[in-house]
Amino acid sequence: MSAPTQVTEPHVSRVGDYLAGALTGALTAFAVRATIGPQWDMVLAMLVGMAVGMLVHMTLLLLLIPLLGTFEVMMPGAIIGMYGGMLFGMRDAMQQAYVPMSTALEVGALFGLLVVLGIRWWDRQLRGVVFARPHSPRVS
Amino acid sequence: MPFTAREKWDWLSLTYDLMTFGEDRRQGAEKRRLFTKVQGRTLLVAVGTGNDLKYLPPDCKLIAIDISPRMIQRARINARRAGGNIRLVLTDAERLGFADQAFDTVLTVCTFCSIPNPVQGLQELYRVLKPGGTLLMFEHVRSKIGLFALILDFMTFLTRKFGPDLNRDTVGSVLQAGFRLQREENVYLDIVKAIEAVK
Repeated sequence: MSAPTQVTEPHVSRVGDYLAGALTGALTAFAVRATIGPQWDMVLAMLVGMAVGMLVHMTLLLLLIPLLGTFEVMMPGAIIGMYGGMLFGMRDAMQQAYVPMSTALEVGALFGLLVVLGIRWWDRQLRGVVFARPHSPRVS
Repeated sequence: MPFTAREKWDWLSLTYDLMTFGEDRRQGAEKRRLFTKVQGRTLLVAVGTGNDLKYLPPDCKLIAIDISPRMIQRARINARRAGGNIRLVLTDAERLGFADQAFDTVLTVCTFCSIPNPVQGLQELYRVLKPGGTLLMFEHVRSKIGLFALILDFMTFLTRKFGPDLNRDTVGSVLQAGFRLQREENVYLDIVKAIEAVK
């Protein structure tokens, strides 16, 4: 793997990625809170939370893909929906009475931001030439 | 619900530019960088609405094909805007009506996610390419990272009926079709790639 190439994406797309992540996280937290009851079995809450998170993610895909690009929305969005939904589901089954909705939304948005940050970092590590024959000139 | 590839892409032509607007803004520079390697008589496979024609060098001698009449209809407008020597042809990439060794360069942009039999399609490109000719591809493929691959497999289950597959091993198909890989570059994660191969 070579050093990552220079990133040429517009600034607005970069900001959009973080806003989309925060929105997906907050909406997942809201939808899971609206679905999971405080006395639910934790395993069931985790599975239902994951399903709800994926539904939120797929709905937002249709809105966000035209603005930000297919994979740039799909990869963080699916992780936020899937894993966020599972975590929020377990949390809401155990601690719903102690965590107000506003805090749940903030945690959801923060989770979304962190996932986007992680994926963007991962992208920087992977970006660039992975294979080139010696006589194939590198264009940077 | 559309059934054939032609019908599917006729339908998608209505929203194609809207759905790829964000992608175009992000990846346009990368496409332009790859397209600078276009040389001689060039075949662009699956021109779509012709949105990528603006990234081609102005002196390019191009034949652009697509399976969808509606896509070709929209591409005519963008071809006129791009200027240059561009001819649009309605044909199937798996059964090209061109002579053997007719092109110096073959170019594909997000094409091999949709060709029903990718190896057969690439073998057809191999046939029409001159010996030593270059295949340039800007494609998305299945990630080698388990977490991303799982997401792409799941999403393909949903998208296959009305759009592209998201989990193809296009680099593997290029090699299977007989090309020699010259260069592979990740554009986004290890999913969107610029690929160069020679006959």
